[in-house]
Amino acid sequence: MARMLLLLWSLGPMLWQLYSSLRPNEALSGMGTGGWTLEHYRQLLQSDPPFLTTLLNSVVVGASSTALTLALAVPCAYALSRLGRRQARALTALVAAAAAFPAVLLFLALLELARDWHLANQLLALSLPYAGLCLPLAILLLTAAFADIPIELEEAALIEGMGLWQRLRWILLPLMAPAIASSGLLVFLFSWNEYPIALTWLSRSDLLTLAPAMARIAGSSVYTIPYGAFAAATVLGSAPLILLMLLFQRQIISGLTQGAIKG
Amino acid sequence: MTNSGATGFNGLELHGLSRRVGNHTLVDQLSLQVAPGEILALLGPSGCGKSSTLRLIAGLDPVSSGDIRLGGRSITTLPPAQRQVAMVFQSYALFPHLSVERNLSLGMELRGMARAEIKRELDQVLALMQLQEQRQRKPAELSGGQRQRVALARALIRRPALFLLDEPMSNLDAQLRDNLRAELRTLLRSTGVPVVYVTHDQHEAMGLADRIAVLRNGRLQQLGSAETLYRDPANRFVATFLGSPSINLIERGDLQLGLRPELLELANAGSPVPAGWEALEGQLSHREWLGDRVISHVHCPGQGTLKVLSSEAFTSDTLQVRWPKAQALRFHARSGERLPGSSDPHTA
Repeated sequence: MARMLLLLWSLGPMLWQLYSSLRPNEALSGMGTGGWTLEHYRQLLQSDPPFLTTLLNSVVVGASSTALTLALAVPCAYALSRLGRRQARALTALVAAAAAFPAVLLFLALLELARDWHLANQLLALSLPYAGLCLPLAILLLTAAFADIPIELEEAALIEGMGLWQRLRWILLPLMAPAIASSGLLVFLFSWNEYPIALTWLSRSDLLTLAPAMARIAGSSVYTIPYGAFAAATVLGSAPLILLMLLFQRQIISGLTQGAIKG
Repeated sequence: MTNSGATGFNGLELHGLSRRVGNHTLVDQLSLQVAPGEILALLGPSGCGKSSTLRLIAGLDPVSSGDIRLGGRSITTLPPAQRQVAMVFQSYALFPHLSVERNLSLGMELRGMARAEIKRELDQVLALMQLQEQRQRKPAELSGGQRQRVALARALIRRPALFLLDEPMSNLDAQLRDNLRAELRTLLRSTGVPVVYVTHDQHEAMGLADRIAVLRNGRLQQLGSAETLYRDPANRFVATFLGSPSINLIERGDLQLGLRPELLELANAGSPVPAGWEALEGQLSHREWLGDRVISHVHCPGQGTLKVLSSEAFTSDTLQVRWPKAQALRFHARSGERLPGSSDPHTA
């Protein structure tokens, strides 16, 4: 019973959105009983630019931000976990400070950068600030994960004659897969949901990512609030995330390091 | 064997090997030799520098001073991969994401060995270690003994010029350990290369090794066969570290007498002491019955409790403990150095 309540509590809002997206406008504003309709989805998919373009934009930005963040964070975390304790502690404190820095303070400066370096209206360019903002957290998470891998495993590989890249490729990265998957997912979620930078860097409507595009739907009419369209956008917007979670949940949960150390 | 030159000696040689970290000296001027086919045990309490020594030989830590030679050539500055050493870690360090087979073959694959050759080597070593049925299993699906065999197999398959083992038995239960000792000894001997075996367990060292090096605070205390260390210890530390139950120590001014429990005899209190013997009177505090032997703990006022090993329990509770004077080991009370004049208790 308690489980059902908890499930209802966490799934309730999502189910409400799903429900709203399938009801005609009259029913939502309480002026009729309506029935069921796919009208909101049809509108969304046929709008200009089509909603799928928006989703695709978000996927491109999310994927490139995740890739860039991981490409930088993994070597960084490896180095931090293998440094002497004193240097590592100082550097980790710096990284933690960067993670705690309020990103809002950077918007104006970022806008200047975008203008000077002609980064505005370029989808891939968005991954620069996204990766920059996500790096500290990713580094901290991955450093902890690297530190959890027993050093003997790497030493055994060293004695086997494996070079640095071979050790990373064959021993460390496979063991890091769960940590890498979950940090990557965090970065992807961040860029999927990010609003202010996307709003200020992108102005062409065919380049909009999910968050600013949804804001446009919400502000598209002065006299009515388009509940239905908004709910449909929410449902379509969260579908890829749910898919990703389902895809990676085994990776994230798996206890891959079990049995590495006897006992 | 005393020749320290580059020529002639074929095994492993350490010359004045030291490792210092900050103000700490982990290994202090260690010199010893291990012949091909010989098993040398590094024995000592935790923190004595035995594992540090092993890591220096393997090349996992840098040497502060001294020289390591293998097969007549210096390997002191070579990276681990080029030393041709194989190491079995205390934790076994099996790659948890790889099957038994891949754990053994990964190194060879990356070195670019031909597939057919890898398969041949694999089949051979898996058969030797009786691991054919576990080929496809992951380390997590193996028992402790099987994991240890995989770790040994991974070391064997490299055909190393030197075998290093870091407490390979410490995670097995006592029964299994006893059974494996002889097996492991035969296996290690068959490789025909020098073997360095680190342990803190005297039984393991005595049962496996040809010679034992006892370490304390990074310094070599004594090097010799188990029998030599037991009967003719260089100092009090070696005398107390080897032997179970451990040696009895009693104060004699600035001397300490070391009395092995099996040297002591029990008699009724007040019995006449034979010539050339010394005796203490005491009260029996308790007995440990071990089946074939009994350890009697006798409390002697002013001297503490003496452990006496005998084949049968003595019925009386007030006892005389006596020993032939000439067979007691004599140590300097402060330094713990062995003093001359105390003869070997078993040759007298």
